[in-house]
Amino acid sequence: MNEGVSAGAAHPAHTSTAATGENAVAREHVRDRTEDHGSQAVEEPSAADFRHARTLPVDGDWYKRAVFYEVLVRAFADSNRDGFGDLRGLTDKLDYLAWLGVDCLWLPPFYDSPLRDGGYDIRDYRKVLGEFGTVADFVEFLDQAHARGIRVITDLVMNHTSDQHYWFQESRRDPDGPYGDFYVWSDDDTRWSEARIIFVDTESSNWTYDSVRGQFYWHRFFSHQPDLNFDNPAVCEAMIDALRFWLDLGIDGFRLDAVPYLYERDGTHGENLPETHQFLKRVRKVVDDEYPGRVLLAEANQWPSDVVEYFGDPEIGGDECHMAFHFPLMPRIFMAVRRESRFPISEILAQTPEIPANAQWGIFLRNHDELTLEMVTDDERDYMYSEYAKDPRMKANIGIRRRLAPLLDNDRNQLELFTALLLSLPGSPVLYYGDEIGMGDNIWLGDRDGVRSPMQWTPDRNAGFSTCDPGRLNLPVIMDPVYGYQAVNVEAQSNSTASLLHWNRRMIDVRKQHPAFALGSFHELGGSNPSVLAYVREHTDDDGNQDTVLCVNNMSRFPQPVELDLIAWKDFVPTELTGGVPFPAIGELPYLLTLPGHGFYWFSIHPAEER
Amino acid sequence: MPATSLPDGSPDPLGGLHDALLAWLPGQRWFPAKGREIAGMRTVSHAVISAPDETPSVEHAVIAVAFTDPGGGTGGAGEERYQLVLGAQASPPGDLEHAVIGRRTLDGPDEVVYDGLADGRISRMFLALITENATRGPLRFVAEPGSEAPIVGPGRPLLGEQSNSSVIYGERAILKLFRRATAGLNPDLELHRALHRAGSGEIAPLLGAIEGELDGEAMTVAMLQGYAANSADGWSMALTSVRDLLAEADLRADEVGGDFAGEAHRIGKTVAAVHLELAHALGTRPLDDAAARDVEEWMLERLDRAAAAVDGVAEQRDAIAAVLRGVTSAGPSTLQRIHGDLHLGQELRTPTGWLVIDFEGEPSKSLADRVRPDSPMRDVAAMLRSFDYAAFHQLAEWEQSADEPDPQLERRAQEWADRNRSAFCDGYAQVSGTDPRENPELLRAYELDKAVYEVLYETRNRPGWVAIPLRSMRRLLTPVGRAER
Repeated sequence: MNEGVSAGAAHPAHTSTAATGENAVAREHVRDRTEDHGSQAVEEPSAADFRHARTLPVDGDWYKRAVFYEVLVRAFADSNRDGFGDLRGLTDKLDYLAWLGVDCLWLPPFYDSPLRDGGYDIRDYRKVLGEFGTVADFVEFLDQAHARGIRVITDLVMNHTSDQHYWFQESRRDPDGPYGDFYVWSDDDTRWSEARIIFVDTESSNWTYDSVRGQFYWHRFFSHQPDLNFDNPAVCEAMIDALRFWLDLGIDGFRLDAVPYLYERDGTHGENLPETHQFLKRVRKVVDDEYPGRVLLAEANQWPSDVVEYFGDPEIGGDECHMAFHFPLMPRIFMAVRRESRFPISEILAQTPEIPANAQWGIFLRNHDELTLEMVTDDERDYMYSEYAKDPRMKANIGIRRRLAPLLDNDRNQLELFTALLLSLPGSPVLYYGDEIGMGDNIWLGDRDGVRSPMQWTPDRNAGFSTCDPGRLNLPVIMDPVYGYQAVNVEAQSNSTASLLHWNRRMIDVRKQHPAFALGSFHELGGSNPSVLAYVREHTDDDGNQDTVLCVNNMSRFPQPVELDLIAWKDFVPTELTGGVPFPAIGELPYLLTLPGHGFYWFSIHPAEER
Repeated sequence: MPATSLPDGSPDPLGGLHDALLAWLPGQRWFPAKGREIAGMRTVSHAVISAPDETPSVEHAVIAVAFTDPGGGTGGAGEERYQLVLGAQASPPGDLEHAVIGRRTLDGPDEVVYDGLADGRISRMFLALITENATRGPLRFVAEPGSEAPIVGPGRPLLGEQSNSSVIYGERAILKLFRRATAGLNPDLELHRALHRAGSGEIAPLLGAIEGELDGEAMTVAMLQGYAANSADGWSMALTSVRDLLAEADLRADEVGGDFAGEAHRIGKTVAAVHLELAHALGTRPLDDAAARDVEEWMLERLDRAAAAVDGVAEQRDAIAAVLRGVTSAGPSTLQRIHGDLHLGQELRTPTGWLVIDFEGEPSKSLADRVRPDSPMRDVAAMLRSFDYAAFHQLAEWEQSADEPDPQLERRAQEWADRNRSAFCDGYAQVSGTDPRENPELLRAYELDKAVYEVLYETRNRPGWVAIPLRSMRRLLTPVGRAER
């Protein structure tokens, strides 16, 4: 339980004198616990048992400006030749991520887990999965990331635990003990039948009978993931303490997984309940009071009009989560390019409500999950879902587990267009590891592992991911002739300035030079050509400096002209952002641009006398 | 305020400007008679709208332009009448230079006269007068009751427009000045008003109007509507889809990413909703034998006009007439007010759905013909024709240099048309409860009537396009059951 001790022993370099002292205290706790026999609450490891990472200066809206990068610890770099990526391997690659321009890493769960749901089944909130390393390894990783100005957030599943968590084991064994009321137990399995079953393929009910306790327990996801009982104040406390543990170590925030489902109430479908929002406000207050500058990101795969609820009260700038993923935007980017029409994107953005002043969307093209077109819908409000269910090809061709490059037939023009959209549409972009070099996938691997293959660093053995025996790799490296590691890898692309990697790096850099991309208002320009999506982002900073960026994107594979109404910027000069070439000044007439197939332009618009 | 219509023998208030106007008119996009020789002009009515000491001075005028050929004018034989909004100022701001018509000397000093809609001060004044429900001389500015008044500000002329002139107010509202002066209520305003008051979500909301007088009758001067920002018209969207298909010679219309059927289905629903709303607001009557004979008569008249001008039609005259007579033998149907000039370009895709615009009716028809109740099947048939046009127009663009059309591409184009015509009908049937294809004789008659008109129109105006309606005409003359899939 107390891995701080073993970590200190195994990696003395990571353990300060002070931490050793704290570990001694922790050892006392362990002794106390082992002498007890279960009827009392277990003493959990404390952050004081560990060294803390250095923290970055408090910055009120860093998450609005950050470029995020989702990295799977398991798949990035293996430091100990066991075939699994680990935290020390990831630490070794921080220089690369800093070079690329990443501001914040998002790590899917790295907690101790039986791994029956990719780590989202947490067995111990305060322990690192053995293959990945130790809490001390994490602290060292965090410290090194912070040294490079890179922040780190991770997933935290609050709704449920693994059925192997000792809370659950105690709860089923001892209904009257301190954990007896930690989960949602019932003598029958009929309550809350309105709640939908999320994993319909594997689960037939949200209730499962436990023969040890002789009762049914409630689970919104897999039956091995019992839901915690948030009506029990002790559960709320325990969860907030788990957050404090990592926040004390220095982590910069959490992506809160499956937040809509925390509570259950009669007569409801058990999603987005007011009690859930109350609890999130409480969590936010802990963060604001005790850990200013750290963020909460909601994972709620719902329509934007529902998701905005998770930002909290707009009157005070938002008092729940700082960020939330914008789920429907991503499939619509694919749809728009398939249709050669801007309207799939225009529609979803027109339907996206204003968000509180301190809130920000997280947007992405691909992540570790499949590309979902399924969206939890409210039929009354949702015109589009029912409409687009009739356009079945969108589902057939996109609803699969692929990486970005294979989804786009490895077409460099499309890869660039999609990335330009990701980096310029409203929200903080979240890149997925490997997509910056155009990595492929392995559709022969089961479930979602096809997009989780090892990062391709070099053309050497195991793509430079690990020096282990190739047969020992957790997942095989991609070896096909187009996307295989000998063709697609960081080393080769680092050496060619024309590579996708260098292109991505330059675009990230351009984005950072213009605060309008991150903080600016969004206004679509329309235009008579339905294949062209054009918009303006505008931002004025506290000193009154105006930053105006014009983005013009050709959704069609064919060259297109577009006439844009830019009269509001009459006499201003657009300057193309990647090369700094000034374009003709804006006059009285509509501004004519021609774009190559799948081409795009980013312009800064400024008065003629400037620059 | 001066009187509106000019008594006989009074001096023409635009007298000193005639030469300048006659030089200026042919350069205006809305002036349709570009090829025709102008014999002269006269001022039909004239009024100063601005207050006496206001700068610029704003004038409204209706002029009649006489042509050397008889034509079929709105103001009597050989004459067409047009509305003008003029600004006049001793020296207007430099950015109005492009709108200058000419110089005139009245009682006072020299004035420069220019196209008033180009002047933001004048478009702002019009908007303000509408919100105030003001009357200026013969012009009544009317705010639509219950409509939210847009923020008053200068407007900006919309460029690239064809038959009318519009001004856009900051993506909020659009004011359309009807250039052709016609006595009576313009059906565009009439139907927008009826639909707006019926709560239609398929049109841009009506915000107000400017009304005047002509020949002692009310005349619609202009119409103010909500502006559909970020929209694109159905024609350009359809062409995008056809283009995508033609580039994939080995994929079928239902397989390509640019498939338009979802949109065609939504357009069908939108058109059906407009028909239901029009029927509800303005009533229906059955298409009984007498009414059907009337319709048949109009169609045959039009056929004979086309046959007289186009050999290809004359050769098929009797076969066409036989199909047109289907109107009288068709199943039960109703007459009601319809759009009258529907095509893909009259549908606007906005980020939230489709809008139908421009209810003026077929421009070549008289006002009396344009407001006559007709079968909604006329609009349906016109849309089906439009899908044909989209498919084969794009094919023609694609094969500009080819002598013979590639049969494979031609099949693809036909497939596209069929698929989208069918999706349109499905959508139409879903909302209206009546599938147009269940009344094939009537649908075919209307479609053929439209195709005959198109053959005539293209022969006269765009000979390069005539193959499209001729092809459809041949198809529509093949037995029912093979034509519509």
